[in-house]
Amino acid sequence: MALTSRHYELDCWSDAQEFYHSRGWTDGFPVVPPTPAAVNACLEWANLQADALIGIEPVRERPITAEKLAINAVMAGCLPVHFPAVVTAWTGMLQPEFLLHGATASTGGCAVLLILNGPIRKEINAGCEFNVLGSSDRATSVIGRAIRLGLINILEVSPGAIDRSTLGHPGKISYCIAEDEEGSSWQSLAELRGIPRAASAVTVLAAGAPRQIMNEWTTVPEEILDTYAAEMRANMRNYLIWSGNYVVVIPKQHCDHLQNAGWSKADVAEYLFRKARITRAEWASVGKGSVIRDKGDVEYSALPSPAHLLVVAAGGPAGGFGAIIPPWLGTKSQAVTIGIGVCIDC
Amino acid sequence: MTIQVLDPASESNPQVIQPAQGISSLKGKRVGFISNGKEGTPVFFAHLERLLKEHWQVAEVVLRTKSNYSAPAQQDFIDAARDWDLAITGLGD
Repeated sequence: MALTSRHYELDCWSDAQEFYHSRGWTDGFPVVPPTPAAVNACLEWANLQADALIGIEPVRERPITAEKLAINAVMAGCLPVHFPAVVTAWTGMLQPEFLLHGATASTGGCAVLLILNGPIRKEINAGCEFNVLGSSDRATSVIGRAIRLGLINILEVSPGAIDRSTLGHPGKISYCIAEDEEGSSWQSLAELRGIPRAASAVTVLAAGAPRQIMNEWTTVPEEILDTYAAEMRANMRNYLIWSGNYVVVIPKQHCDHLQNAGWSKADVAEYLFRKARITRAEWASVGKGSVIRDKGDVEYSALPSPAHLLVVAAGGPAGGFGAIIPPWLGTKSQAVTIGIGVCIDC
Repeated sequence: MTIQVLDPASESNPQVIQPAQGISSLKGKRVGFISNGKEGTPVFFAHLERLLKEHWQVAEVVLRTKSNYSAPAQQDFIDAARDWDLAITGLGD
């Protein structure tokens, strides 16, 4: 397949490392040299022409082509089998409701969280149990990294350039997880967002860092979820009060208790929709009293509706440790779910 | 033996925008603010309006506030700016 990107002749692997680092084309870690053969292998696996237009970044009008995504995916360590998830994630990120430019430029420092559902998880051996929010496996690590390298290189989202994050967070290296669909009888996240269970999908969300909770001292659904709700309320007080797409990552131990009591994901969402609320007056307890003004009695919900909660079953088989992952900017940037291999313009 | 590697960066040619010509005086001019709408902006822009009128004899100040501070300005703001002599935007966070 004809590739049109500028190419360079280098002497060896270590030269390639210094070449890419010196041009600001990495995240600081070594990269896999993107040879034409490796890039073509990704494109052929995904059945994409090199010049296929995945989308256009709307603010700066930058075309995002399959070839550039494949180059960055190879650099991140992706095998061809990983590449369709990268392309699908970018397709989601380029939807207007994702607000890509704002999400990647904001001082708020969010990252792009990817959640994988469907058969693709098994095909690429994506980990969804132990250490799921850490370095759980090769596939999710390199897919998440491919997103970040693509942002850095194609859209100049590097620190101090387009990326104006005050702090950022570790998810800006790689932030990709898979749902443990086999570990529960719940519908998958993608199913609940309109994708058939037999299909694979990627959900993208501009998201803050995970906030871990622990409750191993009850089997009562309401009590377990009260801990998640408390963390959501804490985020509303300490970070941002606006409602949006929160993620809750529920480990198997909590899933089992909830399911044994007959609770579905919809029940979880309905409960947290009711409980994750604060009044503006609560800002006084965290040093934000100056902006309460006459709105102290106004109640704010973490979720505009129960459907805005993204419930993900994932994590190791033992331990009452869950997490909430807050949205970057309320409803101004929304989660997008796209089926892998689906043409959204057809 | 050498290895051939590819450029990961965008190679598209961005549209070059010519900046508008500067103006020599603010006196009698219409100045537009495009605010990102964050918490501290009303006070800041009110102060700036007062300065412009009192010290620089600006005739009129127009304020437009974006509905989403992390998104580009709405098209009607861009259209309205054509009637301004000067637009002030991108003031930071």
